[in-house]
Amino acid sequence: MAKIKKKGTSGQAKNYITRTQAVRKLQISLPDFRRLCIFKGIYPREPRNKKKAAKNSTPSTTFYYTKDIQYLLHEPLLRKFRDQKALAKKIARSLGRGEVSDASRLEKNHAPKLTLDHVIKERYPTFIDALRDLDDALSLLFLFANLPSTTHVPPKTIALCQRLCHEFQHYLIVTNSLRKSFLSIKGIYYQATIQGQDIMWLVPYRFVQKVNGDVDYRIMATFVEFYTTLLGFVNFRLYSSLGLRYPPKFDTRSDENGAELAAFTLEGRTVDETPKAIEAKKSTSSSANKVASKDVQAQVDKVIKKAGLDKVKDEQAVETTEEATDAIDKFEPTAPEADTLPQPDISGDEAGALFAPFTFYISREAPKAPLEFMLRAFGCKRIGWDAVLGDGAFTHDETDTRITHQIVDRPALPEGALPAVPAASEGAAQKVRPGTRIPGRTYIQPQWVWDCMNEGKLLRPDLYAPGATLPPHLSPWVKPTRNAYDPRASLAEQEEEGEADMAEEESDEEMEEAGDEKKADAKAEESSAEDDSEEESVDGGMDVAGTDDDDDDEEESESEEVEDFGGFEDEAASESEDEEEAARTQHQKELEAEAAGLPFSSASAGDDKGKKKSSQAKKIASKKRKEEEELERQKMMMSRKKRKLLEKMMYSNKKQSEEAAKLRSKRRKMEKGDN
Amino acid sequence: MDAPKSSKKRKAVTRDVEEEAGLFSGDELDAGDLDGALSDNANELSSDEDVSDSEVELIDDLSDEDEDDELASDEIPSDGEESLGKKLALTTIDQGETSSEEEPLNYRIEKDANGNDRYIYDEINPDDNSEYSDADENANTIGNIPLSFYDQYPHIGYDINGKKIMRPATGEALDALLDSIEIPKGWTGLTDPSTGKPLELSQDELELLRKVQMNEIPDEGYNPYEPTVEWFTSKEEVMPISAAPEPKRRFLPSKHEAKRVMKIVKAIREGRILPYKPPSDDDDKNKDIINYDLWADEAERPDHPMHIPAPKLPPPGYEESYHPPPEYLPDKKERKAWEEADPEDREQEYLPNDFGSLRKVPGYENFVKEKFERCLDLYLAPRVRRSKLNIDPESLLPKLPSPEELKPFPTACATVFRGHKGRVRTLAVDPSGMWLATGGDDGSVRVWELLTGRQIWNVKLGEEDPVNVVRWRPGKDAVILAAAAGDDIFLMVPPIADPEIEKASLEYIDAGWGYAASKPPPSAAEENKKNTPPQWIRPSSSLAEYGVCAVIPLRYVVKSISWHRRGDYFVTVCPGSSTPASVAISIHTLSKHLTQFPFRRRIKGGGPPQTAHFHPSKPILFVANQRTVRAYDLSRQLLVKIVQPGARWISSFDIHPTSSTASGGDNLIVGSYDRRLLWHDLELSQRPYKTLRYHRKAIRSVRFHPSGRYPLFADASDDGSLQIFHGSVTGDMLSNATIVPLKVLKGHKVTGELGVLEVDWHPREAWCVSAGADGTCRLWM
Repeated sequence: MAKIKKKGTSGQAKNYITRTQAVRKLQISLPDFRRLCIFKGIYPREPRNKKKAAKNSTPSTTFYYTKDIQYLLHEPLLRKFRDQKALAKKIARSLGRGEVSDASRLEKNHAPKLTLDHVIKERYPTFIDALRDLDDALSLLFLFANLPSTTHVPPKTIALCQRLCHEFQHYLIVTNSLRKSFLSIKGIYYQATIQGQDIMWLVPYRFVQKVNGDVDYRIMATFVEFYTTLLGFVNFRLYSSLGLRYPPKFDTRSDENGAELAAFTLEGRTVDETPKAIEAKKSTSSSANKVASKDVQAQVDKVIKKAGLDKVKDEQAVETTEEATDAIDKFEPTAPEADTLPQPDISGDEAGALFAPFTFYISREAPKAPLEFMLRAFGCKRIGWDAVLGDGAFTHDETDTRITHQIVDRPALPEGALPAVPAASEGAAQKVRPGTRIPGRTYIQPQWVWDCMNEGKLLRPDLYAPGATLPPHLSPWVKPTRNAYDPRASLAEQEEEGEADMAEEESDEEMEEAGDEKKADAKAEESSAEDDSEEESVDGGMDVAGTDDDDDDEEESESEEVEDFGGFEDEAASESEDEEEAARTQHQKELEAEAAGLPFSSASAGDDKGKKKSSQAKKIASKKRKEEEELERQKMMMSRKKRKLLEKMMYSNKKQSEEAAKLRSKRRKMEKGDN
Repeated sequence: MDAPKSSKKRKAVTRDVEEEAGLFSGDELDAGDLDGALSDNANELSSDEDVSDSEVELIDDLSDEDEDDELASDEIPSDGEESLGKKLALTTIDQGETSSEEEPLNYRIEKDANGNDRYIYDEINPDDNSEYSDADENANTIGNIPLSFYDQYPHIGYDINGKKIMRPATGEALDALLDSIEIPKGWTGLTDPSTGKPLELSQDELELLRKVQMNEIPDEGYNPYEPTVEWFTSKEEVMPISAAPEPKRRFLPSKHEAKRVMKIVKAIREGRILPYKPPSDDDDKNKDIINYDLWADEAERPDHPMHIPAPKLPPPGYEESYHPPPEYLPDKKERKAWEEADPEDREQEYLPNDFGSLRKVPGYENFVKEKFERCLDLYLAPRVRRSKLNIDPESLLPKLPSPEELKPFPTACATVFRGHKGRVRTLAVDPSGMWLATGGDDGSVRVWELLTGRQIWNVKLGEEDPVNVVRWRPGKDAVILAAAAGDDIFLMVPPIADPEIEKASLEYIDAGWGYAASKPPPSAAEENKKNTPPQWIRPSSSLAEYGVCAVIPLRYVVKSISWHRRGDYFVTVCPGSSTPASVAISIHTLSKHLTQFPFRRRIKGGGPPQTAHFHPSKPILFVANQRTVRAYDLSRQLLVKIVQPGARWISSFDIHPTSSTASGGDNLIVGSYDRRLLWHDLELSQRPYKTLRYHRKAIRSVRFHPSGRYPLFADASDDGSLQIFHGSVTGDMLSNATIVPLKVLKGHKVTGELGVLEVDWHPREAWCVSAGADGTCRLWM
């Protein structure tokens, strides 16, 4: 007879351990256990059978993998924790005795210092692993870099986070590896591709963060401690892979002046370790210097201009050659049944050339930090901004003639009321009135930068002119899928067959009911619109409408018209199809009537539109019914297991398609409202 | 003191009122009262006292000296014995005398020694406010002489009045008096609360009290002034106690210590030990800066199944944009629903909002909270590896041909053939597809024009026996119909085709007669045997007129006829339970007019044989009994395969027409009375590949479309319906047959629990005909 197996010695009962058991086994306190778990990346598991994993009858909530905990037993950090505990006792004792100096000495000199290097190596055995897990790290560190210092968040931590984040941004700028970005209501999403890994993170807008009471900063601080170490190593590796010295040179003074990214200077790492600036950053010094060395400034500017132009030329030349040799050709399948192989979107070179030929000027109301980062990451070398936004700009002079694009985020700017010719004026930088336009440059709203980089090409700037109603800002990550609603495509493309007609009928009925309501709504909207316009006019400060604007509008309208015509054609085509179908049905009816021996009257078949419509609706309904029948028929042939799976899938897909239908109906209503 | 007081009252009364008797009575009353109150033992004394008291008190009243009176009254009982007592008594008498004399007047007249009146004046009793003091009234007037002169006298001198001043009572006398009053030793006058008795102190306690009172050390026998004992001498000894020499360590420095010190010194010199330096801020700063490559020697670690990396957060959608397309904005209803929902129930933690331009975007208030929750998720949420479904339900559905591909199949009833009385048991469409032969309960075989439903030909084979089965001979060169009615099989040539074909077919049948005649007739012994093959005979003249050419008398009821593809052979089955096994299945050769019984014994398992078919291309005979279908190789004469459909009672089966031509696989459909339709792929398994149960009643007949053009099959059931299926068999060995249910054809009425009895296909078109128990046949197209 086989040996009787004892219960709880193998399988799930042995493989899983509850949290209490784990804490007891490690002989540490719960907060320490928490920290250890965060550092080591130990997380609870869900046993396949909870009842088997739990030794007692009470349902335990969290289970850990026993081997994870065993592995923690040999952790050097565990000893550090114990040392810390012993020290805490010593300090408490000396404080109890009133020996404050002793306590402070103990705290200062004997506090065990945690190093997480080995933990990071363990958790991320290869660099790629570390990159893969960088999403959360970056999000949290960017948050902490933007937090105000409190007792929970010491300024040292904030400074460290800021430094690491800026270093990482500099790497992205140098390698042009930023790919996508998105302005959401939560903050700004960025996505970079480093060594084939897509890293996405979220940076909050620069506001004081609202903190509710139920946020435990100790936990976040533990994560931050780990992530700072991780990002430090990652930055070192990234910099050294480029041959740059790490850490980059950090100018404390300019940082204090708000230079942020510009406070760092990247240096190449040569054999004799002599620092050499690879990026010639022409940071115009403070305004006090400016007046004194105006001539020098002018000369320097001239030189820069020359250099800049040369650079642009070079880059363009390089670009063309690269296009000839390096770029991946687009493969298009010739036959419809062939598979389509995925191809990479854009390479770093393309990204680096997007904004390269331009000089940007950021007005003081636009968010400087994200714009500077984005523009630099997409190849722009010359970015100026208002002096109030901090140091490190290419120019603080708004009237600088080299500026090609100005990013403004104000209501409509009337053109023409230029106070003075910028070349002739002296000290014009201070005298440019807000709201004026300097000819020869493109005024755009910040969204233009985002949309351009997401599209990978320069978009029409007139759509993004100040005061214009912006086109909707779309997430670059949403891939068009079947059944899902796509706001880019026209409504007709994605509608299900006959959906519009159905909706029309419904809306006709609804219209009568909700007519009054709508009127009221419309009135409210009008009034609000009036309010808006008033506000805008107040904000704008100028009352002369620019001719350029008008032109733009005309262009727009023209283009719209063209588009509209295209749309009509489509509709016509579809209508003709419909007509064909109608003709067929009519023919069918005639045949039927003939068979029945009745005289077929064309009048009864009728040009009556309502009848036609209803017949169409009927047709659609019957078609749907047929489809359903078909599905039922198919289902009959499946095994029960598969059928259930299918039903599950159908459920989720149905939910999705319902959502899409809802969005479509909303859009339809809106379009109708416009007409 | 009570007595004197009462006496005073009495005095006062006597003074005011002269009535002595009344007074006395009251006095006596009082005294008696008082006496009662007083103790009894003093009765005698008090009586004595009364007398003296009355006198003395009178005086007392005048002299106002209570104490003296008291004293005197006290002393009275003790006067008789001692001299002192006498003296006291004397004085009192004296006093009494004088006072009594003085009372009525300011002066008294006394007789002096000479007998002369002598005025003796009262002593002037000055008031309190008088200047005059009588302090020295009793002063001794003896002058400056030693008192020792009076030692021998009881008095010690004279007062100013010349009266003797008696020597005062000494302390000894008082002590003696007090001693005479007995007080128990240790008497405290207190009551011991614990015992309730008077508290008395013991001798020791009294002694202790005394000592404490006297500031003495209460301990008995303690001597505070004992002589000192010198325990440690204060004198220094000159000679050592031990003669051992002093150890070196007392006076030489330690070498070990020196060694250790030198070690430390060396360490400091070599820089191993650094002097303590308070850490500077720079060190802290440098600590944060990474200065080495952690992944310098990176080695990939194989992925462990238990390691589950944290899932990344999904990228934001359109609705999260600061300026989304307007259709993503919530309308009033949605907004309200969102606001009213519990924060936990919300699908999104934010409401889409359109800010129009970037400057209007406010900070996101839940940012920190969301990041915190992400942190919590990272370390607190259990991770499970879930294989994600490929959310494309189409991929799960079996790859079906599109409905267009499946067409054509029969969908509606086109023609109804009416004429039979009673059930139509059987029908068959001729190989050219123009005619339909039917046989029914009325014993007649009819031939109809298929498309129009017109009856062309009719023959009554028997009076009472129903026609069980009719079958056309395959092949277009001849039109021969085989029908089974009762025990006989009739071979007929209906006069429907053009004369040439009719002639050819008649010749074809007639050729057999010659062959049979050439054969020697069976011996008598063989004739006797039960399983002798029957002789084909010519029909009766009445039948011959109608076109019946030959009759095979089988002696048992034939229920199934199946032609071989070439049209030379056909197999019949007599499924009756009384039929001997050896004659149940017979194969007939048309060209030779020969009947054979290939089976000698009963087919094992599953009751009598039900039906039999030839394989469309191979020399294989399939025989079905109640539960199994067996395949016999006729050329080798052995059992090839047993198919077990799992049905209780097989009603019919059919073999796929393209079996073994395109591929090696034979496909079989089996219908059973227990409502099952079973598809067998013989290559796959003995068991059915698909079991279809779409009928509510028994399945009577199943039939593949005879040509390979339409992969259709149909079944007929007692529930009055036919079901049409698509069943395509591919040449690919890997892919299985695709079966698609297509259509349910309803039209036949159920009569007597029977619905559709047989179904047959048009040889070329996707049309089928069915024979119903309601006496009609229907063409479906």
